Amino acid sequence: MKSAPNPPRWADRLLNVICAPDRLEEVQGDLREEFAYQIDRIGERRARWRYVWDVLGFVKSPPVARRHGAYSTTYLMNPTMLRNYLKIAFRNLVKNKTFSGVNILGLALGMACSLLIMLWVQDELSIDAFHANKQQLYRIYMREYFSGKVQGVIWTPGPLADELKKSIPEIQLSTPYEWVSDQTFSVGSKVNKQATNAASADFFKMFSYKLLQGTPEAALKDRNSLAISRSMAESFFGSPEAAIGKTIRFDNRKDLLITAVFENIAKNSTLKFDCLRNWDEFVEDNAWAKGWESTDPLTFFMIRPDADPAKVEAKITHLLDKFNRDGNKPVHTELAMQPFHDYYLNSNFKNAQIDGGRIEYVRLFTIVAVFILLIACINFMNLATARSGKRAKEVGVRKVVGAMRSLLIGQFVGEALLLTVFAIFLAILFVALLLPSFNSLTDKQISLPINDLSFWGILAGLTLLTGLLAGSYPAFFLSALNPIRVLKGAMKVDTKSTWLRQGLVVFQFALSIILIVGMIIIYRQVEYVQTKNLGYDRENLVYFPLEGDLVKNYDVLKEQISQIPSIKHVSHMTASPASNGSGTEGISWTGSDPNGKVRFTPVGVGYDFVETMNLSVADGRDFSKAYPTDSTGFLINEAALKVIGYKNPIGKIINWGNGKGAIIGVLKDFHFQSLHTSIRPLIAYLSTDSRRQGGNVIVRIEAGKTKEALAQLEALCKKMNPKFPFTYSFTDQEYARQYQSEQVVSKLSNYFAFLAIFISCLGLFGLATFTAEQRTKEIGVRKVLGASVSSIVGLLSQDFLKLVAIAILVASPIAWWAMNQWLQGFAYKIDIEWWMFVVAGILSAAIALLTVSFQSIKAALMNPVKSLRAE
Amino acid sequence: MKRASLGEFEEVVLLTVAVLEVQGQAYGVAITHEIIEETGRSVRLNQIHAALQRLEDKGMVKSEMGEPTAERGGRRKRLFTVTAYGRRTLQEIQDVRASLWTRLVSPFKLSTSL
Repeated sequence: MKSAPNPPRWADRLLNVICAPDRLEEVQGDLREEFAYQIDRIGERRARWRYVWDVLGFVKSPPVARRHGAYSTTYLMNPTMLRNYLKIAFRNLVKNKTFSGVNILGLALGMACSLLIMLWVQDELSIDAFHANKQQLYRIYMREYFSGKVQGVIWTPGPLADELKKSIPEIQLSTPYEWVSDQTFSVGSKVNKQATNAASADFFKMFSYKLLQGTPEAALKDRNSLAISRSMAESFFGSPEAAIGKTIRFDNRKDLLITAVFENIAKNSTLKFDCLRNWDEFVEDNAWAKGWESTDPLTFFMIRPDADPAKVEAKITHLLDKFNRDGNKPVHTELAMQPFHDYYLNSNFKNAQIDGGRIEYVRLFTIVAVFILLIACINFMNLATARSGKRAKEVGVRKVVGAMRSLLIGQFVGEALLLTVFAIFLAILFVALLLPSFNSLTDKQISLPINDLSFWGILAGLTLLTGLLAGSYPAFFLSALNPIRVLKGAMKVDTKSTWLRQGLVVFQFALSIILIVGMIIIYRQVEYVQTKNLGYDRENLVYFPLEGDLVKNYDVLKEQISQIPSIKHVSHMTASPASNGSGTEGISWTGSDPNGKVRFTPVGVGYDFVETMNLSVADGRDFSKAYPTDSTGFLINEAALKVIGYKNPIGKIINWGNGKGAIIGVLKDFHFQSLHTSIRPLIAYLSTDSRRQGGNVIVRIEAGKTKEALAQLEALCKKMNPKFPFTYSFTDQEYARQYQSEQVVSKLSNYFAFLAIFISCLGLFGLATFTAEQRTKEIGVRKVLGASVSSIVGLLSQDFLKLVAIAILVASPIAWWAMNQWLQGFAYKIDIEWWMFVVAGILSAAIALLTVSFQSIKAALMNPVKSLRAE
Repeated sequence: MKRASLGEFEEVVLLTVAVLEVQGQAYGVAITHEIIEETGRSVRLNQIHAALQRLEDKGMVKSEMGEPTAERGGRRKRLFTVTAYGRRTLQEIQDVRASLWTRLVSPFKLSTSL
């Protein structure tokens, strides 16, 4: 049994707010009575609508009568007064379309920018944060001391993970983690390349990758086990359920057993792979991974929940001293650890200590977002204070009638908040429109978290912050006006406020100029990186994996490829041309420091390597079939020669592990890694029949003949290696990929700089409008006395140009310092030149002039008769 | 006519109050329903409240709170009564109209002029 139906409660609440308290009872009573009457007449549902409709009628014209002695007890939130405030605010908004437009658009752009950055930062911080054990997960990095220097290295020896678990009780689980490479898998006639990696049996116990089939304990337990992703399972077997327990052929050499299927790896994980092989099985194919000299995989471990990380770190520091012995020479390598979820954002080394990384971009963008928002707020402040004369009378009257200062402050802050509320809705619209392109630019999958309450909380917070920031100064300024002076009509422009306004404009433009300089320098650096002579020719250089039957038939393959007319040279190497991160410390020579090991980057190469890569030989020669002894010889680069220090290196002997060989050639330095690092010592050995491992076949194609060359290569590989799909890479693209984050920063910096200057100019436009308005009479008089239009435009513009000039002076040193910091991250970088500042200055001055002149020309062209008529 | 002018709608409301006050029924809802019935206009509650308030400001009506009733959720109604000034104003309007009507040469009648 339902009691009497009630009208919608929210409508009643609304009524409470708008209705004068001493009138509430009768009005609500009437509404209720009407409601009861309407229920009988048209039914409850429609009566409810009707009720709301009636209430809304009262919103339009609430009863506000006051009887004598029946004053409202609400004081600050007095509905009548609130209505008056709102009315005044709206009238002002509608009356000054330019100013409202400038403010709302500026604030909306600023807030949209902040929102985007906020979403981006949130996404960056969420990376790798989903692992349940993240508080216990660490990764190892090494500090290598050699010839008085120290460097940080993330590559670790293969056996290290096991050793950690064995010798340190606090370490529960550990795994090496190799580098992802594309490997060929087949089931029956289905062949596919998959991003493959290797890890130990502990892997799935440490990391929270969701297993659809199999258990974390059993996932990589056996030597022949393989964990695959959902998509890989679906492509080979149709479903995860069908895949579990089946065998799959790997590299056309081994059969592996599928022991687990994990959910496709999400974007917020730094470790990405389609499948994981068991580490021991990986070592079978890669014997070097057994030894302590070679360093290649990353090492992750998990400590017990109760263990103290500092103590663990102390224990592992000198762990390597007992290994790596090579003729009883202790190697100065220390181990250190870093929280696993930390390493995505902090991956750079400075003096072998973790020092920043992507986190710097996160900070940088946050600062930029705040700056842009600040610029928008300054617009509001400037325009509000500049126009204070217009509102002065209102303030005067309010004060005389008895408004307290706090009320006035409340009123003006409220107005700013109202404007900000408009702006935030516009900003949300902007963000919604911009997100798709922003996502494709930053390679993320961010969406507007509409359903997330905290997001709305953030929005409210942002609105409040912006409103207060923008509104507080004008509110104080306006509420401080002296009513007597104001109402007398003597509203002198306060010099103090003019100073402040100019200061704020300088600040705005300084920020914009810093961003423009940043944009120029980042752009130049990115361009430099992409066009730098790397010491080898990366154009028209294609490489494809040397795998399957190609390995043993390499000589035939080389012969066949040489026949193709559009291909100039062909060779092979164990790494890829654009990036080679492996290292070895097993190198010694006469006079080498027994206590300091040097990390060399080893690479196995085929004949014609130098010619194919288009390297220059500084001394000696390339490997050649004419000299059978070359099979034990080495090529080194100039950096290696510097370390070794031989005067006449050719023919001198180098020891590598247990073998030795003569230096047959010295290569001019070339960049086999990204330009963030300086060129390391390189040692190349001849990788022929007995020693040939996989790697890549590198092919130099004649310019413009890429298509046909690739077609013929594919046909050839299909014929010689039918079990493997043909995949290839362009060196120049792979090289460019290393600078993806710089590319993104470059593009983003363009947008930021544009936004900053745009919002600044919006404000300038508003101010110019205002000055032109203020000085109409002066301009009129000047024109009557014979001033030319151009002189008047100059007169109005020069004030602003002065400000921009000061801004340039202020901004230049700051910009220089900031960009210098950024460039430190590159071992090879451009110089910051003075013309960049000039360009930024001229650019901003020109834009400012354009903005101002639009208004000043309009003012100068006015008919003086009109402007002086009233005098 | 030098008196506080009365709008047409106000006049209707004032008349309605005069009609209903005898039964002690001159309050918002009742007045609204009465006017809807009499004139066929679609009137909203808030308009009536606003009109009554204006009339009260002009001194044409006065009001006091009545008894609470159940259908109003225990809320009291405000009952209006027409003041002497209000009555006089209504009377004046009526007189002006009447004198104008009498001066009409040919009163409108439904007739067919041949």
